[in-house]
Amino acid sequence: MSKSIGSFLKKHSALIVVGATFLWSGLSILSSRRAETPSKDGVVLRIGHWQLEAGVRSGFNAMAEAYHKLHPNVTIIQDAVPEGTYGQWMSTQLMGGTAPDMLEAGKVPYNVLLGYYNRYFLPMTSVVNQPNPYNKGGSMEDVPWRKTYKDSMRSGYIEELQEYMQIPLSQFGVRVFYNKDLLKRLTGREIPPRDYREFLEVCRKIRSQASENGKPYVPVAGSGYHMWMWDGYMADPLTYGALRHLDFNRDASVGNDELYVGFKTGRINFGFPAFEAKYRMIRQLTEQFQSGFTGLGRDEAVFLFAQQQAVFISTGTWDVGSLHEQARGVFEVGIMEFPFPTPDDPEFGKFAEGPVYDKTFTGFAFVVTRTCKHPEVAIDFLRFVGSQKGNEELNRMIGWIPAIKDTQVAPMLEPFNPQLQGIFGCMPITLGGETIIKWTQLSSLYQVNQISYPQLTAEFLPFYLEHGEDEWAELYRNRRRGMVRDEQLIAGMRDMAGASPADASSTRWIKYRQLTTNRLINRDLNAAFLRNQLEAGGAGHVAVPYEFSPEVIAAVKARLDRGRPVELVAPGKERD
Amino acid sequence: MMSRFLRAFPLPVIAFLVCFPGCAEQKNSVSPEERLAAGWQNFRGGEFSLALRDFKGVGAVTAIDSPVHLAALYGEATTWYLRRPDEDPARSATLYRQVIQLAPTNSLAAWSWLALARIKAQPVEGNAPELEPLVLAYQEVIDRFPFHPAGEEALLLQQAARLEDPGTARAREVLEVLDAFLETHPESPWRSAAYGLVAHCCRMLGLEERRLEAAIQAWKMAEVDPTNPFQDLAVTYWQIATIAEFELGDFETAREYYRRLIDEYPAEQRVFVAIQELARMDELEARLRTEASTP
Repeated sequence: MSKSIGSFLKKHSALIVVGATFLWSGLSILSSRRAETPSKDGVVLRIGHWQLEAGVRSGFNAMAEAYHKLHPNVTIIQDAVPEGTYGQWMSTQLMGGTAPDMLEAGKVPYNVLLGYYNRYFLPMTSVVNQPNPYNKGGSMEDVPWRKTYKDSMRSGYIEELQEYMQIPLSQFGVRVFYNKDLLKRLTGREIPPRDYREFLEVCRKIRSQASENGKPYVPVAGSGYHMWMWDGYMADPLTYGALRHLDFNRDASVGNDELYVGFKTGRINFGFPAFEAKYRMIRQLTEQFQSGFTGLGRDEAVFLFAQQQAVFISTGTWDVGSLHEQARGVFEVGIMEFPFPTPDDPEFGKFAEGPVYDKTFTGFAFVVTRTCKHPEVAIDFLRFVGSQKGNEELNRMIGWIPAIKDTQVAPMLEPFNPQLQGIFGCMPITLGGETIIKWTQLSSLYQVNQISYPQLTAEFLPFYLEHGEDEWAELYRNRRRGMVRDEQLIAGMRDMAGASPADASSTRWIKYRQLTTNRLINRDLNAAFLRNQLEAGGAGHVAVPYEFSPEVIAAVKARLDRGRPVELVAPGKERD
Repeated sequence: MMSRFLRAFPLPVIAFLVCFPGCAEQKNSVSPEERLAAGWQNFRGGEFSLALRDFKGVGAVTAIDSPVHLAALYGEATTWYLRRPDEDPARSATLYRQVIQLAPTNSLAAWSWLALARIKAQPVEGNAPELEPLVLAYQEVIDRFPFHPAGEEALLLQQAARLEDPGTARAREVLEVLDAFLETHPESPWRSAAYGLVAHCCRMLGLEERRLEAAIQAWKMAEVDPTNPFQDLAVTYWQIATIAEFELGDFETAREYYRRLIDEYPAEQRVFVAIQELARMDELEARLRTEASTP
């Protein structure tokens, strides 16, 4: 008998294993479903997101628990889905009508997301215009919810729809993280470098030493993913001075069309000292990265940092918890500002006219889906985690920065305080498909020191000038092609304005007129003006945007002399 | 027996299939007004086929002279005009003309005339459309509904289209039209946009004082949507300040608007540049004073 059982088991072992696994998974699903099943009058809400970083899920669970204590009939369950598949997962759930009640909206192209906002998510405008009841008793008790946000809930507002659609929960920023122990061991420093020269010196010391296995230390863990941070916070702002030469429409930024006009008219070239400075700094920075960094991804750089082979890494607040988690018990993580040159820096000081403008942004934003059976409860939960206390608590547990005003930030996150007055980059060199490809190829070679700056620019410039013309024209054609999307929005808004009750109608018509003015009436005026000036007479006709002309100086002088205004252009006398 | 059954079997199935959707339709019946609203909801959601089904459905069950029927026709026309892909501008134009024919003085007729003009404004393979037919189409709306919002909008769109031409003669013509509009439409909510266009004309003509005046008027007349966090006046302040500083040397006005920008929008990217410009103006004045006091 036992022999026959033994032989049966032996013969069908694979089948038995499969069957047992099936049974186990079935029972697990049943028991978890049972645990999630609400009591007769209970409510279960699901919330979907892609934040698998350390602390997020436990933070949400704790907030769900706290909410459950306040509202015992409500249970909140998370669906945490990996970032790589989140877009597909969200789309499938939405289309199948099985989406969670609340979703972190994203990971699909923006035009697709716009369609989703319309089709699957509830507008929040009326909700966010009311005070948040969970702020009762606090300093913002009577303040509309959206105004309790550090950024007035900008990231919740979808301009194309003229509606608040999502509720952001955290603020984000980018800084340099460093291994405190390794920094001290290799350089003897307790504090991180505060400026660029100090940083380079520290990097030199780090590079000169090797680990026990003889492998030299790397100052900065870099990758293709990390490059934009070093460029955006360190090198690109050095080009700020180009603003005064190229901001032809004088809107205080340099567009890629303006830069092209600058090159085309000979107003500027790659020999412009600020442009050269930017690329000198990129070379100096990338020399501190591990070799072959351009071919590596984010995880490989993080691995190098976690393995204590590199001292510095740049990343955002979203990685604070994960990096601390990986370093726990092994080394201490510090956070520092990007080591930007000081004004007295011998090489870059004259380009560093101020600190780098750094406006942090809010994200980790949630929508309520139209299929939600209890939208009022979902909104109430978002109010709970978006209140002063709730938001502070959630972010404290995650290790992120609260999105709500007058909340406590963890001391380790203090370096993330935004710098709201400063310089910014003015070298948007690519115009369209071909120039983007060419520039990316060449600048990658430059970053890994395979070509020099003169080689980079000598190869790119003729290509840019030749192909730029077509790409500029294509840029305008694409703008025009995009007009139909604006017309769709405007037609939809016109219907809403006409069909709204009297009190809402006025605001809707204002929105309608603003959309029409910005997107149809003024759509091409500046671009046409710039193109017409260029075609009319080349460089001589393109005004120098930030120079005082002799006439203006004379007018100022006359005002100072006489203390009264002076007419620069006589009435009726027009420019030909 | 069996074969008879098999032959008869499809009959009840067919009968059920025929009846069931009818029953379901009856059970889910909604009013034409609700279905019209659903049509626009679908339109806004990019569900153009569903929107068409709704608009056509409303059209089929409403009296031809009823406002809902007219609105459904307008909705259908707009969907054929703006849906992508499968747009049909010719069909759309026919439907807009039906709206106009059915109720020539109705507000929807005004919007239909404007839509007929906008069809002509659509780019051809990304290139700008022919100007003259577009200008004439806008003129139809302006002549028929000079004080209707659609007519006022048409006038501004018409002048903006004309300003794409580089000539100063054209800019002068546009300026005259806009001046006349501002004089005859003292209550229009489009006045801020009109002043914006006046400022652009003056820029093309080099009339910098008038340009500054128009830019300030555009700001003063601007409607405020308190619910829109992106609607800020930082750009407007910046433009006024820079016109005053660099075109007129009117540093007092420039300072006033730079300071407004700094005070009201402290997180704006332009704040740093504004601070630098305030310092530059101070420096220039100090230098000029020194020069003046030096024999």
